[in-house]
Amino acid sequence: MSNCILTMAKWEFYRLKLRFSGRSRFVVLAIVLLAIITSYLVYHQGMVVGKELYTVGVSPESPAITDPRFKVVRLDRDSSRTLLSQRVIDVYLDGKTIISRSDERSQYVSGTLRKHLARQELFSIARRYDLNRAFPLRVEVVTLETPESHLTAGTEPPPAPVAEPEGPSSTSEPAPSPGPPAAGSPTAEINDAEVRQQLDVFESGGLLKVKEALLSKPDVIVPSLTPMPLPLAQVTLVFSYVLPLLLAGVFFASSITEERVNRKLTVLLSAPVSKLQVILGKMFPYLVYSWLAVAVITLIMGGKVWLSLAIFTPVTLLILATYMMVALTYRTFKDLTFFTILVLTAIMAYLVVPALLTGVSDLSYISPLTLAVEMYRGEAVAAKEYFLATAPLYLIFCQALFVGTRLFNEEFLTGFKPMHVKMAEALNFAIDVNHLNLSAFLSSLFLLPLAFTIELLAIVFVHNLSLPLALWILIIISVTIEELAKSVIILVLLKNGAIRGKIETVKLSALSAVGFFSGEKLLLFLALAVLSPSAFTAAVFGAGLLIMPLVLHVVSTCVVGLLTTRLGAKYYPLAIIIGSVIHAAYNLYVIGTLGMP
Amino acid sequence: MNEYVVLLKRELLSLTREKTIILAIMVQLLIASLASVILQGIMAFYDPASIGWGTGVSLRAGFIGEAGSPLPAYLRSKGIIVKPFSELTSAEAAFRDHQIDTILFVPEGQSNVVNMKLILPRTEARRMVILVMLDEPLKEYEDYLRQANGIEVNYKDFGGQPYSGYEFLYSVLIPILMLFPALVAGSIVIDVISEEFENKTLDTLISAPVSGGQVLISKMSAAIIAAVIQLLISTGLLIWNGIVVERLILVLLLAVSFAVAISLGAAIIALWFKDRQRAQFVYSMTLITAGAAGYFLNPSPFELLAKLSSGALDFSVLAVAIYTMLPIAIGLAIFYRSKRLVLAGK
Repeated sequence: MSNCILTMAKWEFYRLKLRFSGRSRFVVLAIVLLAIITSYLVYHQGMVVGKELYTVGVSPESPAITDPRFKVVRLDRDSSRTLLSQRVIDVYLDGKTIISRSDERSQYVSGTLRKHLARQELFSIARRYDLNRAFPLRVEVVTLETPESHLTAGTEPPPAPVAEPEGPSSTSEPAPSPGPPAAGSPTAEINDAEVRQQLDVFESGGLLKVKEALLSKPDVIVPSLTPMPLPLAQVTLVFSYVLPLLLAGVFFASSITEERVNRKLTVLLSAPVSKLQVILGKMFPYLVYSWLAVAVITLIMGGKVWLSLAIFTPVTLLILATYMMVALTYRTFKDLTFFTILVLTAIMAYLVVPALLTGVSDLSYISPLTLAVEMYRGEAVAAKEYFLATAPLYLIFCQALFVGTRLFNEEFLTGFKPMHVKMAEALNFAIDVNHLNLSAFLSSLFLLPLAFTIELLAIVFVHNLSLPLALWILIIISVTIEELAKSVIILVLLKNGAIRGKIETVKLSALSAVGFFSGEKLLLFLALAVLSPSAFTAAVFGAGLLIMPLVLHVVSTCVVGLLTTRLGAKYYPLAIIIGSVIHAAYNLYVIGTLGMP
Repeated sequence: MNEYVVLLKRELLSLTREKTIILAIMVQLLIASLASVILQGIMAFYDPASIGWGTGVSLRAGFIGEAGSPLPAYLRSKGIIVKPFSELTSAEAAFRDHQIDTILFVPEGQSNVVNMKLILPRTEARRMVILVMLDEPLKEYEDYLRQANGIEVNYKDFGGQPYSGYEFLYSVLIPILMLFPALVAGSIVIDVISEEFENKTLDTLISAPVSGGQVLISKMSAAIIAAVIQLLISTGLLIWNGIVVERLILVLLLAVSFAVAISLGAAIIALWFKDRQRAQFVYSMTLITAGAAGYFLNPSPFELLAKLSSGALDFSVLAVAIYTMLPIAIGLAIFYRSKRLVLAGK
């Protein structure tokens, strides 16, 4: 079996080489090298965001401003007034005071300049005085368990040491207690080294180097040296890793589409290889390239190669799977371009947005990027965190492989039919007519990720709208999507005459609903096993809220199924509307009862 | 000129028939929406109060320390409710009873260096909010101790939080939103040109009474029109979200000229390589190179967009002129020499 895959892989690689043969090879190579060199130059120099964005007037006796975001203009006080009111300069630094206007921009620049000057001041203080005088306040952070947090006991690490009262600290004692308690002196020494390290990090910090930006030691805080969490470091990570991976996907998709357009696929299908072998074989060179790319980037950025590979392989698989599905579905290159951009933006959002919350919330573990951030911080990556982040990706990959193999036939690939017909065909191919019950159950399970992704995208879209309207639109969209996902298999089976009679419709509808519901709850359960639970989740797992949703799902799907059977496939949209209304009514009732806004 | 219009209509029709423009609009909408989501996320980091965290909900802090300590006053000036305790055990009991959210324990009698303990709950989100709210009072206390040690601090960091998303908005988000349609336009250009080669329809086209230049320009125009539509939608979304983009006309003009420049480059690449796969690859690589190289220009295109859109008056008018005029000039030059280009492409 693996021989066939390797042969396919070799052939794919050979085709790729052919593409870039001849004169153009050198041009292409030159451009690639140029791209790599210029990118590296920018990385090495450190990207400054907002170079010379602000214009600051300074008086002769003001300190030097070294931050590249500020453009410095030397002025005397009189001309400064005019220039400030004319908005040529944003603020005026007069020795120790910052003079600004009242508009937003001037206020913002004033605050930013003040931050910068305070920082410079801090370094100068650190240079002139010894650490004890310069940083006299050391705050040790201690975590105290409260009874509520014991609900998480099953999944949380052992509780942190509880603070102990150290020596007499009653205010009634007139004589000063013998300094900080015994624990204090060793603490002072430790803290000095700690302060030194924090100072170093603070000095070298900024948006520039990813590693330093990600370091943080929350156990001891020196207030003036507190690093701000820098989510932009995560975004840098995305671009460094994910962009090269996307490149692999682009080539992969082009290759498939090109073979479709040139009708070479027929030839491929007549070869004595299974479709799975064809797909895996075609994917393999791109997978190998991705591994190489990840390894090289990790080496440059100073991480652990094996861990990076473990983290980014599922990401690669997701990208390849996505590109494959889009390439199999869309017939023209123009469509391919746009749908891939659409899907990729969604993927990037899925990777970046949760990762922005690294260290802030456990929700960040939805994205495998968070694991990469932890790796660069030198923190250990827990097995269950890895599982939560990557399991969905592996699952989607397997799913895509399954559907892809079923779709990889001449009829589906060479037809030129409208989209909804193609989707129905796709489902048709995916279903096994001999196991209707199982198919009904599994199909909604399979469509679940797609439905959820669309709902997530809907959330992003309605974000722009004001609250009551946004909520309504969200409910309508999510309800309709869910009903569609659950009932579309019924429609397909009806059209093929595979279902006879209302009883069978009801049975299959119910199975489909149960499949969907199980998938939903399973997802929730898996996610919550890692995420910190809250009152909300307690409510969700309360007995009442398990039966009711199930009943609802079954009812709404059966309604849709029956209506379609009775009235005919043409009335499917109407059936969906009615089913959605039932579903929406239930949702609104729940929201009303729970008292959410 | 008439032929140009006919060709242009044909191109636009083909884009709409394949729903390409609609898809482009959807992508732009998605990116613009995502941008505002990310922006709010960033604001939440630097300034939770800006999104309503901590406002209307007062933080209750337990304090154990000297009677004359200035720290409680600093805390109270930030709207934090301070409850004094005489010793740690009673404070901890109150903490467990949820009567207070955090404990600040400053052991007495420390002289030069003050080691204090800060007790926080386990929940990550709450720790974050508490830490951000305590940030300024602790810094003020630190400065007080510095002064007691004889150090004069000239510039203090605290006092009025600026809107932290400002920089990210104008120097990252808006340039991305303005440049993205240009990238898409280039991609469309490559697709439509290479498809003429691959479908072998170029011969038919050339036999028509139109010049190669007109064909090229019509294709690029269609792509640029799609870019303009995307830009308008982005701008509309930004304005709807209450984000002010200053000097809108100039910013849009700049964005359109980038679209023109990138479309030109894409056309050249497509004509040279003729097949879509290689052309798209070289196009992406060229974009990366140009983007990185642009960073070294002074001012770089991103800087210029950031400055213009944020309302800075101090920008180089010359740079704006060059960035807008140059692509158009090159475009016209190509238009006049295009017949030779297209024939060479055969």
